[in-house]
Amino acid sequence: MWISKALLLLLLAGAGLWELASAQETLYMSVLSSRRHAWGRNDNPVIGLFVSTDSGKNWQHTGWREYIRMFYTEAGPDDVLWSACGNGVLRSTDHGTSWRVTTGWEVTEVLKLSVDPRNPKRVAAATAYGPILTTDGGGTWNFLLEDLPERYSTDVCVDRTDGTLLLATGTGVYRRAPGDTGWMPTTLLGKDIRVLTQHPAVPNTFWAGTEDDGVWKSTDRGKTWSMSNSGLQHRTVYVIAIDPERPDTLYVGTFAGGVYRSTDGGVTWQQKAAGLSVQDIHALCVLTSAPGTVFAGTLNGGLYKSTDAGETWVFNSQEDAQVWGMSIQRRPRK
Amino acid sequence: MKLPLLCVAALLLSGALSCAAQTDAAFEGRRVRLLDVAAAETEVNMMTILAKLHTGRDLPRAYAMLDSMTHDRAMGGMFYAYTLIGTYLHTRGQLPDSLHRKIREAFQKRTMYRGDTENHWVMYYTGMYLAAQTWPNEPGGQWFNGKSSDENFAEASEWLTHWMRMTTTIGQGEFDSPTYMTVFICPMLVLHEFALDSVMRIRAGMMVDLLLADFAAEHLNGNYGGGHSRDYPDDITNPLAAPSTMFAWLYFGQPAMEQWNEARYRPRHRGSWETVFAALSSYRLPDVILNIATDRSRPYVHRERKRVRNIIRFEKPMNPPVYKYTYMTSRYVLGSLQGGILQPIQQHTWDVTYSSPRPHNTVFSLHPFASGRELAMFFPEEQKFLAGEVDRYHLVYTNPGKWNSSSPFETVFQHRNALMVVYDIAEGTRHPHADGFFPKTLDERTVDPSGWIFARNEDVYIGVYPLSPYSWIEEELCWRWRSTTLRTGWVVEIGSIDDAGSFDAFRQSLRNRIPDTTGFTRSGSVRFVGAKADTMALDFAGRRTLNGQPVSFADYPLFDGPWLQARVGEGRIRLTDGKRERILDFK
Repeated sequence: MWISKALLLLLLAGAGLWELASAQETLYMSVLSSRRHAWGRNDNPVIGLFVSTDSGKNWQHTGWREYIRMFYTEAGPDDVLWSACGNGVLRSTDHGTSWRVTTGWEVTEVLKLSVDPRNPKRVAAATAYGPILTTDGGGTWNFLLEDLPERYSTDVCVDRTDGTLLLATGTGVYRRAPGDTGWMPTTLLGKDIRVLTQHPAVPNTFWAGTEDDGVWKSTDRGKTWSMSNSGLQHRTVYVIAIDPERPDTLYVGTFAGGVYRSTDGGVTWQQKAAGLSVQDIHALCVLTSAPGTVFAGTLNGGLYKSTDAGETWVFNSQEDAQVWGMSIQRRPRK
Repeated sequence: MKLPLLCVAALLLSGALSCAAQTDAAFEGRRVRLLDVAAAETEVNMMTILAKLHTGRDLPRAYAMLDSMTHDRAMGGMFYAYTLIGTYLHTRGQLPDSLHRKIREAFQKRTMYRGDTENHWVMYYTGMYLAAQTWPNEPGGQWFNGKSSDENFAEASEWLTHWMRMTTTIGQGEFDSPTYMTVFICPMLVLHEFALDSVMRIRAGMMVDLLLADFAAEHLNGNYGGGHSRDYPDDITNPLAAPSTMFAWLYFGQPAMEQWNEARYRPRHRGSWETVFAALSSYRLPDVILNIATDRSRPYVHRERKRVRNIIRFEKPMNPPVYKYTYMTSRYVLGSLQGGILQPIQQHTWDVTYSSPRPHNTVFSLHPFASGRELAMFFPEEQKFLAGEVDRYHLVYTNPGKWNSSSPFETVFQHRNALMVVYDIAEGTRHPHADGFFPKTLDERTVDPSGWIFARNEDVYIGVYPLSPYSWIEEELCWRWRSTTLRTGWVVEIGSIDDAGSFDAFRQSLRNRIPDTTGFTRSGSVRFVGAKADTMALDFAGRRTLNGQPVSFADYPLFDGPWLQARVGEGRIRLTDGKRERILDFK
């Protein structure tokens, strides 16, 4: 039974978490395609970037309307928007009204990116041809390939404590601290890593989702890892989201298994798929402005919403669409 | 990018000296005929618009169609980019101001997808190169991608040069596709026509030469024979229905029939009509390439080295080599790739295609492989999700009866008119069978007590020796040979009245040369003595020997044969028909 919002806000205020709960949240949803899309049709569904400033009640499309294979979008602390797309890395400095492809022909099939919260001109991206980094706001990009066994990378995470990069590849997780000239292997090797996430409240903790090998946890900023799969029946994990208000509550999106939730810091997992018509989950987003509210983006089933922390799900929008990425920007309310 | 002056001069000289421009009246007739027919088409596409505008036929409708295309979102961005600018550059002198403005705006307001295949990028960057050249000195705000004219031009120029270098040193990735050749040749024709930079214009013209010569060497009376990187089932099972036929008709004068007049070959692909760009181009096929395409006075072996499309994961090399082997006669062409996964989804590893007045003039085999892991080698998305996704666009990928496929379990060895193909299908594979295509248009198809299957189409003879039990499945177009034995394959020999005499003599000869399969179920070992006493051997490990000597791919050339010669990495291709020579020097 989930407590009411008003009660929770009172409790949070008492716990000093009022700032989080009262944050203004902007949601970004990257829709790559729709099952209703077909080449040669003029009435294809609108795809690309959708933005919501009212906790997902309404979504507004912004930016490019046509298929450019948009996988993921996030905003930096300076409000600059960055999109990882087939066409490269896109940047908008006017809230999505206009965009610039910041990369050249060498960069394609960009799957994920991460803005350094300490320096928003420093952005790392994972691409099918290797990780890239800009330190001048997208003016120039450089491939960071040294010491990687293969170029393909699926996710990159900028450690907000010191800017260290953590990289998800088909052969494991690699770290690269500022000033390093190459990537250092971590203890999570030999696994196909699909996603990396830093804990929003416990910065030393990182989570990794894998192809077939479930969820892994690191408590030393990505250096050493241990498996954390009890109860996780579906071991291909595409996305991990952590409730900033409840540091022990995590959600993972799986292939064919819907959403799993843990309320004990990943020690055990319970499947939470009631109401999901499609069980392939590639995006998750936990709201703080509406406790218990979680969004799950599916591959070919659109966006689903839960208001009871994943117990039940209701279709929200984007019929038959592939929701590849979601992110959330939190700012104190003015 | 500017080449050194000397190099440019060398390019011009080498081209001009041997470039006896094709002034063939027959070509002119076909060119005019094509434009006339395309102009009468009612389907709205850039090619029919262009033909209408050029011929002056139905102009009000053409303008209205073009107007609608300026805001049409039905065509993928890269297809749109080069066809829109190509149409514009061909017709801008006659367009009303409103269309000038709308076409310019299309490059600002449409957000064009660059794509993820070689042909996509050729189209996209050709389009962006010419658009940036057409509207220079404009800031990023005037372009959909936020880059200025200068930035777009430089990026496009750099990639196009990079692509030409790759193609002429280690081979094309989407090579020899009867369907996709259109979207390489036509962008290069448009670039050749309109690039203001003389080096780019010359290079684009040389790429057209190369692509057409590449086709010509494996061309038989309109058919594109042998192995292909990518093709669609309808074109694999009916070769003259492919867009390549329209190019052959226009440039080579073969086949004599007009594709659009034959229901069985009627173009289904927009690609066929893209020959309108060829018909409008000032490019003329050099005589040396015409002779390569049509001189079938002597059989020959033609070899090519291509490359695998970019492999992006699983710690594999990005562009492993493809070894292509083709044996050409005046009546049939037998050609193959070495087997394995060389392209995802639409690979056609081998076939014999024969010249015939009847459709479905081909025989081949395959293992219908489908897996998310294969797709994940080439596409960045989640591998468990990919197979179903590809089915949305290539509707047959997971179909067990599909007629195009790569397979990691397939190995091929060809020597002249004989070919061995073996399948070592792993247990648990999604579709654990191999299929063979025998068209119903064959004159004969019989199973001989010796084990050979004999087929005949007029004076072309086909012998197939299956390496495992099999069954026949009757279908609308063909008899499908199917083996559900995991270790299977064929030994194939092709003959004709020219080299084997009668069909009876061909059959008797093969009855006397039963392949040695004693080691087949254990190691896939097969030995076969060909008609000229050459002994071929192959096994599942890919060991190939000819007359006891190992066959190595180590020194496989970029092109080798009587018509085209080039070494890997050289960037210089020699075309010759024995009398003339044309050097394509990309260095």
